[in-house]
Amino acid sequence: MTAFFATIRTSFRRQLTYRAANLSGLATNLMFAFFRAAVLIALFNEKNVVNGLSIQGAITFAGITQALIGYLSFFHWFDVMHSINEGQVGADLLKPMNYFTYWLGIDLGRALGSFLIRSLPLFLIFLFFYKITLPDSLLQWLVFLLSVVLSELVSFGWRFLVNLAAFWSPNALGIGRFAFGLSWIFSGFYMPLDLFPDWLANFSRLTPFGASVYLPIEIFINKLKAGDLLQAVLIQLFWVLFFIVIDHLVLSRGVRKLVIQGG
Amino acid sequence: MKPIISVQDLSKDFKIYRNHQGYLGAFRNLFDRKFDLVHAVDGVSFDVQPGELVGYIGPNGAGKSTTIKMLTGLLVPTSGTLGVNGYLPWKQRKEYVRKIGAVFGQRTTLWWDLPLTDSFDLIKHIYDIPENIFQANFNHFREILELDPFLGTPVRSLSLGQRMRADLCAAFLHNPSLVFLDEPTIGLDVVAKQRIRDFIQFINQEMGTTILLTTHDISDVQKLCERVLIIDHGKILFDGKLATLLADFGGRRILSVEFAENYPEINLKDAEVVRRDGNQVVFSFERKTISASKLINRLSADYRIADLEVQNQPIEDTIRQIYEDQLLYNHPYDKKDPAS
Amino acid sequence: MRSIKLLFHLIRLQIRSQLQYPVSFILEVISGVIILGFYFVAFALTFSRFDNIGGWNLGEVAFVWGLAEFSFGTMDMFFSGFDYDAFGPMIRRGQFDQLLLRPANITLQVFGSRFVLRRLGKMIEGLAIFIYSLSLIQVDWTTLKLIYLPLLVISQVFFFGSLFIIGATTTFWTMERLEILNIFSYGGNEVMSYPMHIFPRPIRMLFTYIVPAILLSYYPAVYILGKTDPLGAPAIVSFLAPFVTAVMFWLAIRFWHFGIKNYQSSGS
Repeated sequence: MTAFFATIRTSFRRQLTYRAANLSGLATNLMFAFFRAAVLIALFNEKNVVNGLSIQGAITFAGITQALIGYLSFFHWFDVMHSINEGQVGADLLKPMNYFTYWLGIDLGRALGSFLIRSLPLFLIFLFFYKITLPDSLLQWLVFLLSVVLSELVSFGWRFLVNLAAFWSPNALGIGRFAFGLSWIFSGFYMPLDLFPDWLANFSRLTPFGASVYLPIEIFINKLKAGDLLQAVLIQLFWVLFFIVIDHLVLSRGVRKLVIQGG
Repeated sequence: MKPIISVQDLSKDFKIYRNHQGYLGAFRNLFDRKFDLVHAVDGVSFDVQPGELVGYIGPNGAGKSTTIKMLTGLLVPTSGTLGVNGYLPWKQRKEYVRKIGAVFGQRTTLWWDLPLTDSFDLIKHIYDIPENIFQANFNHFREILELDPFLGTPVRSLSLGQRMRADLCAAFLHNPSLVFLDEPTIGLDVVAKQRIRDFIQFINQEMGTTILLTTHDISDVQKLCERVLIIDHGKILFDGKLATLLADFGGRRILSVEFAENYPEINLKDAEVVRRDGNQVVFSFERKTISASKLINRLSADYRIADLEVQNQPIEDTIRQIYEDQLLYNHPYDKKDPAS
Repeated sequence: MRSIKLLFHLIRLQIRSQLQYPVSFILEVISGVIILGFYFVAFALTFSRFDNIGGWNLGEVAFVWGLAEFSFGTMDMFFSGFDYDAFGPMIRRGQFDQLLLRPANITLQVFGSRFVLRRLGKMIEGLAIFIYSLSLIQVDWTTLKLIYLPLLVISQVFFFGSLFIIGATTTFWTMERLEILNIFSYGGNEVMSYPMHIFPRPIRMLFTYIVPAILLSYYPAVYILGKTDPLGAPAIVSFLAPFVTAVMFWLAIRFWHFGIKNYQSSGS
């Protein structure tokens, strides 16, 4: 257990040293937040609500999605793949720590660091430029924070799984990029799911991607209340557990293959 | 004969900016830049005649790579004059570079993702090598360097030894008059090193190519170079035959003795005990002070000896001593060796 | 002349090496088309809940969107050597010195150092969106418009290319990735995919006066599509694209040469 927390702490500290990278990432994401907000405002064009989503909610959506990109390592994360391809995995598997837990610790530290010096400042600056919807009760805030933590866990579960493809294919990077692409399509990070046609929105909500990006936002803008809040958290928890199980299964198959066939 | 490399009072200064620390420091860096001036190369002068195989050595940070960069046109000197193969390297880059070659031990000169044959083919085109010359050279080199097993492999998949051989082949394909070799044997095993050395020697002797060899491996210099230049702190400290240098500084010899009994105390005048392990004792002594035979006589007068061996101090140790103790700064000569 | 032949040779070799596994390659391209195309598909699906954006219909948005995607993809294929991800390591690993040691033009060597055929994905995606746009809208095609269109595409390619070259040049000094420059290249690609009058004033100003994306996307489109411009600029502005690009590219190359000279005097 202490090894796990130590891993988180080390990774967290390391993330904080990447000042320049985080700053530039922040600036880029902020710029895109402004772009997305502008597009949504232009679309809404004086309408107040479309399909249950208010214009203010849409603007808030634009800010939060960009803030989450760094935190969730949304666009690419191939650290595990690289370590497998470069043979580092052998050394990592020898560590007295579950391979999955080890990488989870590293990612949690990174996510926490990124959240503090990239996501948070970004959102605060965004707040300064736009009027947004804030959670309207302490409960709402707390559930939102819980949901954000679960988001990272779901995101990690998916990213880790995708990276495991490296055990089987030297072309795993191409497969990985496509898999990441799938996650963007159904996450509702580009356009709010509520603006999608119903069939697409419903399908997206069934995927783990919507669960890790759109759900927290819906909580934040008070679209989900009471019973829906519980349901949202349960959905996220389901995916967390789902990935824990699947990832371990696939990992053990992968390690077996590695051990039998050699690096 | 006109020298192929002519360097006179060559200097290169670098500004090393001192960075302010912290967040505020990052802002201060934009307005208030303080720097130190480093004389990486400080008034260096030497000539190299066509056909020479010269060693260029010195400790890390001595100014070797800075000199080479100026000689190859990668860096503009701060002051001094420089003429290589009739050109001013950095000013007449394209024409100058056409006639020289360079190999760097630390990185490849070839194209990372392309099979070797493609790289060589590119070189043929870039240097406009006539087909017959290219074929003659290529076939000759591939045989000596044994490149055939991996000619179709991209550079990124080659082992260090294979890559070095490929780089060497590439550097000489266009019959350059002058080639710079920067650490060509670094990281290689003994067999590989010898193969590279043989090739370098072959090129220099058979084709008359002038070669300037920068290396940390003194055996390279010993086996290949008659003349060696030593640079430290940006200045040339020695320019002459390696043998002369060793005669003056490499005078220490090693006497390894296995005594018949485990003597509690062993004293030997004019010699130092370097190591002792029971009966086995290693002494070092100055050749100029006492001869080996005299020392052995002295020893056997007082002790019973089972076995012994006399060796010269390894050259690496001599050179290291020269670097560490800055011996050449105190030496009477620091210009070209009159004996050569 | 020799350097140009070398450039083509290098490109040919890279194409050959990238096509070594044709199935894998085609899959990657298709995958790229799908992932990149999703943004437009998502936008189009969303658009069905609205009737216009800033007075432009879906077909008109697709017009500028497809053009921007196609141009950026084309640029990304040819100017890939200047992409920070490739050029940064080149400097850091000392491979740039290798270019200086070859008797060939340095700039052309950088062009030839990386050619990413995979970018065909973005080009195909952009083309598809553009063709879709043509199926939705009625353009009054005059000879002038037909001449201007390809000229516009070329301008956009060199516009984005200039940004890449400038970005690469900055690595001579910083070593660190100046991601801030992504705002101009990738951000420029983004804003040029929409009718730019919908963006708030500060963003419009940025992409008019600092990086003149608006002159390469919005105003030419206003002319070709026959839209009214709520910003009220004179008609001539629609034709500035090639000239602005020429100036930008010239400045970028000057800066690039300055960077090389500086690299040679101060070392790496």
